[in-house]
Amino acid sequence: MNPLTQALISGAMSGAVYALLATGLVIAYHTSRVVNLAHGESYAVAGMVTAAISGVGFSLLLAIPAGIAAAMLFSFLVERVLLRPRRDWPVSGLILVTLAAAFLIRGVLGAAMGVDGFSFPRLFVGPPLRFAGGALPLQGLGLVAIGLAAALAVTLFLQRTQLGRQLRAAAENPDAAELMGIDVDRIRTLAFALAGGLGGLGAVLLVPLVSVDFESGLGMTLHGFIAAALAGMSPSLAIVAGFGLGLAEALATTYFGALAQDPIVFLLLIAVALWQSRLIRFGGTARA
Amino acid sequence: MTLTRIVGLALFAAFAAGTAQAADPWVIGIIAPTTGPLTTVGLRQLSAVQWWEQDVNSKGGIRGRRVQIVHCNDEGSPEKAVTCARDLIDKKSLLILNSSVTGPIRATMQLVTQGPVMITPSPNVMPEASTFVFQTSPSDLALTQAIADYLKENHADSLAIIAATDASGEVGVASAAAIFPKSGIKYDLARIDLRANDASVQLANVAKAGVPLIYSNYSGAGAAAVVKSYSNLGLTQPLLISYANISDSFINVIKSDMPPRLLGTGLTAVSPELITDPEERKRIEYFVTSYEAWKKEKMDNLSLQGLGLADTAAAILTQVDDPSNAVAVRDFLEKTPIKSIATFRYSRESHIGLGAKDISILEYKDGRWVKAAPLK
Repeated sequence: MNPLTQALISGAMSGAVYALLATGLVIAYHTSRVVNLAHGESYAVAGMVTAAISGVGFSLLLAIPAGIAAAMLFSFLVERVLLRPRRDWPVSGLILVTLAAAFLIRGVLGAAMGVDGFSFPRLFVGPPLRFAGGALPLQGLGLVAIGLAAALAVTLFLQRTQLGRQLRAAAENPDAAELMGIDVDRIRTLAFALAGGLGGLGAVLLVPLVSVDFESGLGMTLHGFIAAALAGMSPSLAIVAGFGLGLAEALATTYFGALAQDPIVFLLLIAVALWQSRLIRFGGTARA
Repeated sequence: MTLTRIVGLALFAAFAAGTAQAADPWVIGIIAPTTGPLTTVGLRQLSAVQWWEQDVNSKGGIRGRRVQIVHCNDEGSPEKAVTCARDLIDKKSLLILNSSVTGPIRATMQLVTQGPVMITPSPNVMPEASTFVFQTSPSDLALTQAIADYLKENHADSLAIIAATDASGEVGVASAAAIFPKSGIKYDLARIDLRANDASVQLANVAKAGVPLIYSNYSGAGAAAVVKSYSNLGLTQPLLISYANISDSFINVIKSDMPPRLLGTGLTAVSPELITDPEERKRIEYFVTSYEAWKKEKMDNLSLQGLGLADTAAAILTQVDDPSNAVAVRDFLEKTPIKSIATFRYSRESHIGLGAKDISILEYKDGRWVKAAPLK
């Protein structure tokens, strides 16, 4: 096997999920100014609900939409029940509220489904595609293709549709948007539900290749946040940053070992942050 | 209230207090991760020990006293394990059963230099014979030797190893370096982070054409990443999983990606028909029937490790005059073989209870672990 090819394949698969998570995190951030630390829990919710439903014998065609719907419902509730009534709070307080929501749902998932890991069968079944000394499982190909398409579709939705423009307007200046007749509350709820759906989509595509347990969410939030930060919280760059993060992790592991993965990724994050602050200081545009 | 009534109440209170004192339970502490990535390791062992608690208490306890198991969840963290050990010592635990993993167990060993006796099934912990720590499994060196012997029996001279980056992985790497070259076996090694959900890069680095066996030394549910990635790459060599992963919970996670041949290093007792000692066989058969009826789950390598802990505690409580005397308990263990899942034999020179003869290379076939067929 060719380690470089395999690293690129592996990095693309992880990167597709990071791109979905980062896009969702950025959308929610832009409408609420809150970094949703419970965002990765939408991944855990979707993965575990899908595993539970398919585990009792229902078809994946039912289990997968149910898993994604559960993730959307969870994100919707975070905004509707926890954030909206506290919109007067400082942003730092709201971020802590989302962290509390993350720990709450972890506890609920652990109590409801137990602490063991879960998985479920693949949607795309068949021998892996072999090329250039690497192997790409069909589920992995589906993950990369669907993940990329979904993240791109959301980006285009934000840029090209009226609802997307309303969403961005609500983020830029909620008071002005309200004066223009935009229902900002509705827009925020929509953004959170959409973000949850992206996290859920990542789960139903990736979990068959790995596994999920009630504690999987926090790691996904961290990866999504790193990718979003690398993208400067820009929706259009979140996809590139997500794939870049996945590839950087895989290449670091291949050439420097597993112990070097975290230091290299965080070094990359620091370097990008310094570069962005240089842009701001020397005439570039400030990022969100 | 009349004087007679007051005297009567006082006499009753005195009698009740005396009865309570006589019936004070034997307190046994257990440290086991029941949340976190090592949950599968801790839960199964804890369940077996709790099975013993209800089983022995339903028969009247030991020497007229009930057994009370006090559990502390260390989440697989050394810091929390130390807090657990302090707490269990404060609660006057006669023994500490430690079902955690290498790092946390090592951290707690410093707290029992004067007792109480600590008993652990972790093969990665090889306690000095001068300590109060005893180990109820074969050592990791013995487990690694069993793999080397299996390869040699099958005329194979190489393997690929995936090891985690935690303390357990470090022990596995050290054992591989000590055993395989001496046995004329070449190996390629790749490490994987405990939080990683993909091991295809590591497997691509080591599972080269012609390598007859892949050994995942990684313990805990996270090792599912190795099995899933093995399947993602379409590999065909037999995959051998670690001692701590011979469990139903692990099989449940990987069942949709089962390798063509799944092997494991396990206690011979996992496959009771391989047991030749009638007393050990009887004990395991009773455990299998009773445990499965009580817990509604199948016994596995981890529950057997829990049974080993319970049987050791039972032998101490039954045969040592004063189980709160750590020196007496240590002397007893060093002199007395204990029949359980195998016969634990400690001495003044070794606190490791089992050896290579108690290990088998097992294979998962038709929903159960049996002796592994030859490597092709």
